[in-house]
Amino acid sequence: MAVELAAEREQTRARYPDDSGYVERDGVRVWYELYGSGEPTVLLLPTWALIHSRHWKMQIPYLARHYRVVTFDGRGNGRSSRPQGAETYSIREFALDSLAVLDAIATERAVVVGVSCAALWGVLLAGEHPERIAGAAFIGPAVPLARPHSERVVHSFHEQLDTSDGWAKYNLHHWLTDYRDFLEFFVGKCFTEPHSTKQIEDMIGWGLETTPEVLADHDAGIDLPLGVDFAELCKRVRCPVLVIHGDQDALHPLERGAALAEATGGRLVTLEGSGHLPQARDPVKVNLLIREFVESLR
Amino acid sequence: MIVAAAPREQTRARYPDEDGFVERNGVRIFWERYGETEPTILLPPTWELVHSRCWKMQIPYFARHGRVLTFDPPGNGRSDRPRESAAYERSEVAEYAVAVLDAARVERAIVVSWCDMGESLILAAEHPQRVSGLVFIAPALPVHEREVPEFSFDDELDTDEGWAKENRHYWLRDWSGYVEFFISRMFPEPHSTKAIEDAVGWGLETDAETLLVGFRGWDTKEIDPATTVELCAKVRCPVLVVHGTADELVEPERACSLAAELGGAAVLLEGSGHGPHARDPVKINTMVREFSKSVAPLEPEVGRWTRALNRRKRALYVSSPIGLGHARRDVAIARELRSVVPDLEIDWLAQHPVTAVLEQEGERVHPMSVHLANETGHIESESAEHDLHCFQAIRRMDEILLANFMVFNDLVRDEQYDVWIGDEAWELDYYLHENPEQKRAAYVWLTDFVGWLPMPDGGDRESFLTADYNAEMIEHIARFPRLRDRAVFVGNPDDIVPESFGPDLPTIRDWTEQHYDFAGYVTGFDPKGLEDRDALGYRDDERVCIVTVGGSGVGAHLLRRVVDAYPQAKERVPDLRMIVVAGPRIDPAALPQQDGLEIRSYVHDLYRHLAACDVAVVQGGLTTAMELTANRRPFLYFPLRHHFEQNFHVRHRLGRYGAGRCMDFETDGPSEIAAAIAEELGREVDYLPVETDGAERAAKLIAELL
Repeated sequence: MAVELAAEREQTRARYPDDSGYVERDGVRVWYELYGSGEPTVLLLPTWALIHSRHWKMQIPYLARHYRVVTFDGRGNGRSSRPQGAETYSIREFALDSLAVLDAIATERAVVVGVSCAALWGVLLAGEHPERIAGAAFIGPAVPLARPHSERVVHSFHEQLDTSDGWAKYNLHHWLTDYRDFLEFFVGKCFTEPHSTKQIEDMIGWGLETTPEVLADHDAGIDLPLGVDFAELCKRVRCPVLVIHGDQDALHPLERGAALAEATGGRLVTLEGSGHLPQARDPVKVNLLIREFVESLR
Repeated sequence: MIVAAAPREQTRARYPDEDGFVERNGVRIFWERYGETEPTILLPPTWELVHSRCWKMQIPYFARHGRVLTFDPPGNGRSDRPRESAAYERSEVAEYAVAVLDAARVERAIVVSWCDMGESLILAAEHPQRVSGLVFIAPALPVHEREVPEFSFDDELDTDEGWAKENRHYWLRDWSGYVEFFISRMFPEPHSTKAIEDAVGWGLETDAETLLVGFRGWDTKEIDPATTVELCAKVRCPVLVVHGTADELVEPERACSLAAELGGAAVLLEGSGHGPHARDPVKINTMVREFSKSVAPLEPEVGRWTRALNRRKRALYVSSPIGLGHARRDVAIARELRSVVPDLEIDWLAQHPVTAVLEQEGERVHPMSVHLANETGHIESESAEHDLHCFQAIRRMDEILLANFMVFNDLVRDEQYDVWIGDEAWELDYYLHENPEQKRAAYVWLTDFVGWLPMPDGGDRESFLTADYNAEMIEHIARFPRLRDRAVFVGNPDDIVPESFGPDLPTIRDWTEQHYDFAGYVTGFDPKGLEDRDALGYRDDERVCIVTVGGSGVGAHLLRRVVDAYPQAKERVPDLRMIVVAGPRIDPAALPQQDGLEIRSYVHDLYRHLAACDVAVVQGGLTTAMELTANRRPFLYFPLRHHFEQNFHVRHRLGRYGAGRCMDFETDGPSEIAAAIAEELGREVDYLPVETDGAERAAKLIAELL
């Protein structure tokens, strides 16, 4: 059954930003929002351009009651620019956007929290800019430290396929032909938990705010050489690290989270029965874990 | 009048792994170390009126999470009682602390002080590299000028009333009068009898002469305000200050000013007096643990959380080891519970001898059980010749009960259960009502008696104490009716003694009927087919008498007396076959031998032998007596002296069933026993029948919560 989408008008927020604005780098504008005034500052990182900063909607009101919370729409979605070309979506560009946002809000040091591939720029920030990052929490990290799910490496992304079943939908041609079909499939994989209709609708709505061309550029950008081995980068991380990973994550296996915790000397919390985006599906638990982590840094 | 704790130290929940003396300027200071790992928590002494046992509610818990160091002050405990005042200076006590850290080879410690008068502050200020965090419980450190006391310490006064007792001349005249006065002010919380008795006992381990060497009034005992402020400025480590709002000895404002001066957090405990670590140990322990985690982060631990709808149904069964009876009935209830809730997973938090039964039954004993402090060992250590003052023995188990509650509390923080079931798990019931915010699951309380009752020779004091314990329990239930989701009485309303909880308190039966569900008795076995004598090796032409005192070591005297009665009994009943079961804790070789008498150390499935015997001789414990009642066997039972449960509750219940013949260890010698055996043998019993569906009814009551 097709997913009925939430209305295009954004639903009422529990909390609105106290400040917001753009930072601009090389002509690319990135929209940030600032909530609350506590200590420390918690930077909720953007992830893949499929979604934008509203994916933190269940965290912002709670965390902003205790801390100063900053979010930004990653380039490619939300109110940020949609540049063209893989190089504009590299891991390093996202790290530099993050630093630019921290500079814009005059913040020397922050705790970063990121979902999925946000772990890529999160680790880069913590490894290369230790003075800016007080702690890092990663949820369902999409890191190349352990093998992906085998069903995700069956089909080519660029070649035209003679099937569009299952993960064959993760294919450029299918995206360009039936983006909505891909979205429904992919978002369904994000939420393996039963009774996830609202989370799925939200995410499909955000996915429709960008285009398959942007996502293709972003994927290619992530694959560009980083100039440093990712495992080496993990070893350079000195700040406390928390990894939260669902054991039913159909996008990135728990082994990836475990490997990231191991490589960074961090703590792994396994969520039994959870999928890829527990910050949306089990927000109470994730909020409490983030709070406990931030408190442990004091 | 307060009766101080007995001079013999009560059983500890944990004993030190290392102890010794450090010597400084000729003064020997006794110290103890518990546990091996970091972080270290140093618990320094306070005023020498008390010694290091004042930390008894903290040591076992902290030692499970790290290392603990304590030492006795000069003038009390096992430390010297120097005659030079310099030995009692606060700066000197700080140096004792450094010497203890050195002796225990500890570089840095979190210092948790009680009523600090300067020693901990000096330690943190002057030896910052040795102190990683500082907790002040009810600190006496003055930041502002003190009020001048109402009475002079040195002058002869014309009154002994109230604080006039804090006077050199009164001390010398009536030291215990002062100690009782002072300690009673320390614990203004209702129902503090045990904390008060403990502290009075420690105060009486020293004397006025010793205290006077180091005391000339509080203004000279505590460091002065200017020094306090100066030292505070030097402290760099994290600080937590905790103070009771009802502290009658030190005003809480001192704690607030101190915290402000140190830039630390201040936590006020509403309604607490001067000794919250003794009176509200769960709160203090968990607070200090949180503080310690923030100061000394541990290796990252692996966390696991299961989504609500992915969870299996789980129950945690806490079964009391006191009296072997609980194990069998709890296993029976668990079995019935599984048949009502088939997918239920049951973990047991239990210790020997319950664990022996559980292992036999293939039940899962939770690994945290190894941390439980030994309760049966304590109960045995409290007993004498056929004598167990069970009320006092349970009071003197406060440290063990708290230590075991903390084990439980750690377990249920890490693991989710749908229901906690406590069968006479006193620690669970008591500390949950004292710390209601710790409840995280449905909770079922099971017991086979309600109401502490005084023994006649305990006098007014024991009547007061049992009434106080009952009153506290009644207040707990009235204030927090939500805590026990089910209270299950293992028995029937008629089993309840026709007594009152105490002066101005309800009658036990009325109150229990209002607050409990009744499951009927739970034997844990089906009496049908049990009386097969052949299978047990008993012939039809012999009359079998089984003598047993259960699994405890308390019964050797009774066994000996029954052995002595054997020749006379055999004379009266020529076909008598007497079998004495010594049990696991009594050496059969230590019992006298008689021709024809059989002494066995262990009998497998003893309950089957009891079901098939012609007569039995037992103690007054409920389980064995009710097994005999259910199987309609004649028996003699000897309640343990001073055991209120056996003398009142069990006796009343057996009376209702018309079961058993109550004997008196005081007056019934071998010839009375022999005569009673002869009379009871083969008597047609007219006992009321015992229900066989008790376990099923109890399980149904629990299953409603699942």
